[in-house]
Amino acid sequence: MVNNSEAILKLHYIFKKYKTRGTFFGPQSKDVIALNSISLKILKGEIFGLVGESGSGKTTVGRLIVKLEKPEKGEIYLDGQEILSLRGDQLKGFRRRVQMIFQDPYQSLNPQLSVLDAVSEPLIIHKIGNNHTIEEITRKTISSVGLSPPDDFINRYPHQLSGGQRQRVAIARAMILKPEIVVADEPTSMLDASISAQIFNILLQMREASNITFLFITHSLAAARYLCDRIAVIYKGNLMEIGPAEEILHNPKHPYTQALIDALPKLDLSSSKKYYNSLRKEERIVKENAGCPFFSRCNVSDETKCGQNIPPMKELGKSHSAACFYA
Amino acid sequence: MNAAQLSTDNKNVIRPHWINRFLEGWSIYKKSILGKIGMVLLAVFALMAISSFIPPKINPMYEPMSGVDPYISKATGPSMRHWLGTDFIGRDLFSQLLVGARIAFLVGISAAFMSVFLGTAIGMIAGYAGKFTDTLLMRLADIIMVMPSLLVLLMLSALFSKLSIWFIVLFIALFRWPGVSRVIRSQTLSLKHRPFIEAARVAGASHLRIIFRHIMPNVLPLSFLYMTFQVTSAIIIEAALAFLGFGDPSTVSWGMMLQWVWKTGHMFKAPYWLLPPGICISLITLSFYMLGRAMDEVLDPRLRKEGENY
Amino acid sequence: MPLLEVKDLNIHYHVQGGILKAVEGISFSLEKGRSLGFVGESGCGKTTLGMALMRLLPSNGFISDGQIIFDGEDIRKKNEEEMRKVRWQKISMIFQAAMNALNPVQRVGNQIVEAITTHSPLLKKDEAFKMVKNLFQLVGIPGDRIKDYPHQYSGGMKQRAVIAMALACKPKLIIADEPTTALDVIVQDQILQEIKGLQEEFQISIIFISHDISVVANVSHEIGIMYAGELVEYGNTEEVFESPRHPYTKALLSSYPTLNGEKNMLTPIPGETPNLMNPQTGCRFFDRCPNAISSCKINPAEWVTISPTHKVLCYQCGRDCGI
Ligand SMILES: Nc1ncnc2c1ncn2[C@@H]1O[C@H](COP(=O)(O)OP(=O)(O)O)[C@@H](O)[C@H]1O
Ligand SMILES: Nc1ncnc2c1ncn2[C@@H]1O[C@H](COP(=O)(O)OP(=O)(O)O)[C@@H](O)[C@H]1O
Ligand SMILES: [Mg+2]
Ligand SMILES: [Mg+2]
Repeated sequence: MVNNSEAILKLHYIFKKYKTRGTFFGPQSKDVIALNSISLKILKGEIFGLVGESGSGKTTVGRLIVKLEKPEKGEIYLDGQEILSLRGDQLKGFRRRVQMIFQDPYQSLNPQLSVLDAVSEPLIIHKIGNNHTIEEITRKTISSVGLSPPDDFINRYPHQLSGGQRQRVAIARAMILKPEIVVADEPTSMLDASISAQIFNILLQMREASNITFLFITHSLAAARYLCDRIAVIYKGNLMEIGPAEEILHNPKHPYTQALIDALPKLDLSSSKKYYNSLRKEERIVKENAGCPFFSRCNVSDETKCGQNIPPMKELGKSHSAACFYA
Repeated sequence: MNAAQLSTDNKNVIRPHWINRFLEGWSIYKKSILGKIGMVLLAVFALMAISSFIPPKINPMYEPMSGVDPYISKATGPSMRHWLGTDFIGRDLFSQLLVGARIAFLVGISAAFMSVFLGTAIGMIAGYAGKFTDTLLMRLADIIMVMPSLLVLLMLSALFSKLSIWFIVLFIALFRWPGVSRVIRSQTLSLKHRPFIEAARVAGASHLRIIFRHIMPNVLPLSFLYMTFQVTSAIIIEAALAFLGFGDPSTVSWGMMLQWVWKTGHMFKAPYWLLPPGICISLITLSFYMLGRAMDEVLDPRLRKEGENY
Repeated sequence: MPLLEVKDLNIHYHVQGGILKAVEGISFSLEKGRSLGFVGESGCGKTTLGMALMRLLPSNGFISDGQIIFDGEDIRKKNEEEMRKVRWQKISMIFQAAMNALNPVQRVGNQIVEAITTHSPLLKKDEAFKMVKNLFQLVGIPGDRIKDYPHQYSGGMKQRAVIAMALACKPKLIIADEPTTALDVIVQDQILQEIKGLQEEFQISIIFISHDISVVANVSHEIGIMYAGELVEYGNTEEVFESPRHPYTKALLSSYPTLNGEKNMLTPIPGETPNLMNPQTGCRFFDRCPNAISSCKINPAEWVTISPTHKVLCYQCGRDCGI
């Protein structure tokens, strides 16, 4: 389905840093580099997985795409159009096309708004439909995320919903405008496994039904494998490896990806041996980070080569590349 | 939604949200002894305020300001005719006390309402807009906060010689908003980066919509809480002004009664005149304070359980 | 004789509007040097169970019935003074989210020294400090980090410090409540290996609590699957994973995305966990169970022994699972 389709979203050498203010006991204020020259292409209709540990900059990518944040350097293109300079009506148009599902369903719904009010809000903002059709569309969307019958839910408030139901409401709110791209930022990290699976399947259905492009952010390679067509692995704001999902999981080339796969607890008890052993037992003490971001923890690295030079993205095969000298 | 569907819904779903919240809050409130005492006291004062209209109807000599007992021209103690006695020219103290309650409510609530209104609006704007607007508004708040309000008022009244009660109310409001606005601002700041606000931004909501639809309902309970504390301080300020002789001479307030006691030299001679307004001022401020403390408990976020994770 | 034997444990909470039955009829036993994992979705009573074993339930919680025999003694019969001697010295706990509960204004090393000296008052301060140094080495924190403040630690290091604290008095049993939940996979893996290594080295018994079935699979000899306050399947980890019997266990396993094997469609468990205030009679999994029959709703589920080391709480399995 995704073959040969063109890029809908392009990130071009994105650089983003945050200024942190020192707390009373905490460290002095300093800049945190959240993203370091990230370039990505997301194809129309695919589910693109962004995988990394916490603090690696995944959420930042999502927030940049939905324009909750501005990068210091770099450009973002939606369908060939630069989005960072959008203002006024153009920005409002953009908001209709790009939506986001947030990580924490306990935080992403206004406790004072009923389900009906929360889900229909985007329609009201964009002045779509009249009073009657708004409620109609809202009901339909609510039942499409598996909250049915919708009448049981539309008058409830967030505190009357379970975590899974809240996340469905959040999905409904993101979907009601029929956006082209949806950024899903770890939508199941606060939910139980059985509920996560329900959410995954809803996202898959949405994609089937309306060919929405998803940026699926997760810390779990297993979840990414289940949902995604292509996967990018980032580490400390740097892109490490990118490629088709099966390729990344079964033929990972970057030592960091390999370490992630090794570390993932496996249900299959017979195969729980470490396969790649790409993680160093003891971290190297690195004074100045001039080289590969993974250098200090990497087992295959070379002192001079990896410690001094940043490995460039290396093309390894059909749309599979990794930023490693040894890949 | 039709009736059949309604009846299948579970009970707490069909009630409007705010009623649920209220009932939930009320059940916590009920547990607070302070809150109950405060409520009872306030009910008594409210009753006093309402019944203040009655005595003048019975006999014009019970008119608190202008009514004078034709047979009495000095301060007298309690009697059947004058339950609390009379003041130095024979005015009935009991009816003055009743009217005082009315004035206290009037001044307290209207000044508190205005200051909380101002404080909430300014706090939300400062917190949401941030940057320059925030700095400007908060410096203004700082300036007003450190200004000696009583002194300014004394100077003003020296300038205008006579201050109406409404001027005093307005004045109290103008001097009391900074405290509220600081609290509301910090609440707004913490709300501003909550994901549900960001979700609204991603959906394309305008700033006004975010402020009124998403931030305001979440700060209003706090404003409401602050109102009870503001009432307390407004009543005290008014009483102090009146006692110092800068009150509105055309109204009878408890502070004014105290001023008369003092000015006519009855301070230690007529306890029946001195004590009732003094006690009333203490009790009404105390009861609003207790109300506020109990409401604080209702709103205390630690008592509120929102969603449990693992 | 097993180190810990729990018989028919019931734990209730007083809550507004009645009594919440958080744990119902749980029985298990744990041998010395073995590890037992409890898995279940959030709210199924895992933390409650762990706290009850330490007699550390919140004030509105109480053990309404059952026995907890630890080292031949009944934990429920002990008074508070005696319990204090058991806690930390014999049973210690790694509390859920404990790493975020470290005191931010006190050096990590000092916090642990303090914890040790309050529980063994005879120990001198510098001896305790030496102990902490050894403990930190044991759990893999470099010695020069002892005097750091918590904010200077990474999440993994904080968790290691918390583990060191639990190990401090050389307990016979450690209860680890979600010890890796907030951590990244790589760090999680390291911590799990650490716990496993320490357990084998010192022959400590461990009760391992997690909502993540794959985490428990890798560290425990026996596993107990919990659902809505009940233990529904219990047995040797390999047996349970190779031939899960309870419909809930099966569903849990098939709703979990894996790296290897066929990329199957995940089958989520429909519905939500039941309300523990007034759980239905009969099987608690009834309304989410794919093979429930009407009698499941009426008759309480029964324990069925599948092998000496594997049993399941299911009315249906006992009748026609072909055993
Ligand atoms: N608002 C912020 N202020 C300061 N630092 C931030 C902010 N948001 C994120 N960061 C930092 O940027 C880095 C990337 O964060 P994030 O994108 O949230 O990572 P992830 O989603 O992968 O966990 C982290 O080091 C984080 O501490
Ligand atoms: N202090 C408490 N008071 C009342 N109910 C509680 C309390 N602690 C936990 N519960 C309830 O007991 C049940 C089990 O909780 P818990 O043991 O924390 O589950 P888990 O650790 O498996 O997530 C839940 O329904 C929870 O709401
Ligand atoms: Mg994130
Ligand atoms: Mg728990």
